[in-house]
Amino acid sequence: MVENRRFGNLLPHLVLIAGAIVVAFPVYVAIVASTLDAETISNGHMSLLPGSHLIENYARVLFEGTGSTTKAHVSDMLLNSLVSALIIAVGKIAISILSAYAIVYFRFPLRGVAFWLIFLTLMFPVEVRIYPTYKIVSDLHMLDSYAGMSIPLIASATATLLFRQFFMTVPDELLEAAKIDAAGPYKFFRDVLLPLSRTNLAALFVILFLYGWNQYLWPLLITTRDDMQTIVIGIKKIVDTQDALTEWQLAMATAVLAMLPPVAVVVFMQKLFVKGLVETEK
Amino acid sequence: MAGVLLDRVEKTYPGGFNAVKGISFAVPDGGFCVLVGPSGCGKSTLLRMIAGLETITGGQVRIGERVVNDIEPMGRDIAMVFQNYALYPHMSVYDNMAYGLRNLKTPEPEILSRVQEAAKILELNDEMLKRKPRQLSGGQRQRVAMGRAIVRKPAVFLFDEPLSNLDAKLRVQMRIEIRKLQRRLKTTSIYVTHDQLEAMTLADMLVVMNAGRVEQVGAPLELYERPATAFVAGFLGSPPMNFLNGRVEKPGVLRLGDGTELAYDPAHFTATSGAEIQAGVRPERIIFSKDGSGIPFKLELVEELGLGQLVHGVLADASFTVALPAGVHAPVGDAQRVTIAPDAVHLFDRKTGARL
Repeated sequence: MVENRRFGNLLPHLVLIAGAIVVAFPVYVAIVASTLDAETISNGHMSLLPGSHLIENYARVLFEGTGSTTKAHVSDMLLNSLVSALIIAVGKIAISILSAYAIVYFRFPLRGVAFWLIFLTLMFPVEVRIYPTYKIVSDLHMLDSYAGMSIPLIASATATLLFRQFFMTVPDELLEAAKIDAAGPYKFFRDVLLPLSRTNLAALFVILFLYGWNQYLWPLLITTRDDMQTIVIGIKKIVDTQDALTEWQLAMATAVLAMLPPVAVVVFMQKLFVKGLVETEK
Repeated sequence: MAGVLLDRVEKTYPGGFNAVKGISFAVPDGGFCVLVGPSGCGKSTLLRMIAGLETITGGQVRIGERVVNDIEPMGRDIAMVFQNYALYPHMSVYDNMAYGLRNLKTPEPEILSRVQEAAKILELNDEMLKRKPRQLSGGQRQRVAMGRAIVRKPAVFLFDEPLSNLDAKLRVQMRIEIRKLQRRLKTTSIYVTHDQLEAMTLADMLVVMNAGRVEQVGAPLELYERPATAFVAGFLGSPPMNFLNGRVEKPGVLRLGDGTELAYDPAHFTATSGAEIQAGVRPERIIFSKDGSGIPFKLELVEELGLGQLVHGVLADASFTVALPAGVHAPVGDAQRVTIAPDAVHLFDRKTGARL
């Protein structure tokens, strides 16, 4: 807006502030709770000011484990989540960019069929095909492994479609110029398409990393060992206790830790994101 | 260095559309050949077949001594300049020019010297070599695209309407630069354009195409002065040639649609009496008569070009344009008479369009 309306901006700001509070307040409570000791929380009069047990609580969840149903350290869970989310994000991008490249730039028999098969997988997320997928993974002895946690989630139509749309906007002359410049299909992909897709890659990486990080049902099904569980499952298990009070300060510390990597990815990638949006190439 | 020979080249698309219908001509080594025609005439398709970007469905293309029908573009020893430049947007100007050489495993010092040489020819300074294509103006991008072709030192340059994206003034300037460059490098060039002025000024050898066929091949002036078909006559020249329908009364005399007589030079045409013909007259070969002789012309509109005037009107029931040189003014009043010298009249068969 060019005009400067001092009071006209008040209402939108109020709405924004209210929205921000709704989102930020629970996060703030979680952070505060993770700095208190067990008694303060369990007596029901939790203060909204941070306590003094921050280092103690975080050190305990990270390296000692809790008194809950899971004895695993949160540091292990973070590692498991990180590895599977990275495999899912990188694997999905690698597979989808290559399949989009094949579909857009190569003429092969059953090309249309291949495209529609990929398209069809949109209708079959893991939750729908959970029994057969579980059977396959277990028959391949991939339970309790990173491969089992990530590979079934990798095949993805959305990313393929996105790359396909992007590749179709790349002028044909670039391909022809590359052909004349003695670049074969591999060089054209590496030297021209990949650098041009940089911003798309960044955007997809953010989305897919979060998708992988937030997986709950699938890792819950195929991990049985404590040392293979992911952080999202870990939070749930830390809340469950037998014959003892839930150590809420530890559960909250775990939740805060679980939030950090996705936040870091978004914050870090946002720079690339915005940069990519500002300098439109092609 | 090599000539290019096309021998009955055909292109039929899988759907059955026949875009190029048996074209044969030869471009001599070092020659500048311009393919010109209206859009959809197959000229770009033909160029892309020479480049190897379209398959050849019939006939042969030779570059030098080699038949290149089944050779990939990179093996044909050609370089191409595209209409939209097709520069790699994420690479610097230097890398854009060096990319092809790097793929051919040229040593880096050799690449450096070739790019610098090309940059010098094209007047691109060192600072520009570091920029990305989007930071350059249209004319500079066009130069980079040519630089990318020059560094390869190919046997043949192919240009696909390289000036169409530039504004009119820059187009004239780049046209001159391309011509100078080609004279200097003496590389065989094939240039596609739909602009007849560009075609006339650039070509050593002009190929006029229409509907997938060659209408005429020859030197620009030859085509301009002795067009083989009515199509070539109408396509070359701006403003275009005037056409009048008529019948041969007797050798040397035509009877136009409204009964007016028009004289032509019978020595140059083999038209039999009674033949239905189309007569063509270039606008600049017509003069207004001051003494009341000549053919009636109804003056409708005068366009001032500065360089001269264009007078539009009606002659023998057909729209007709007269081009006057600078300093000559159109007469005042609707009813005028014009004289047309007999040697300015071209005769074409009315059915086939062929020169008689």
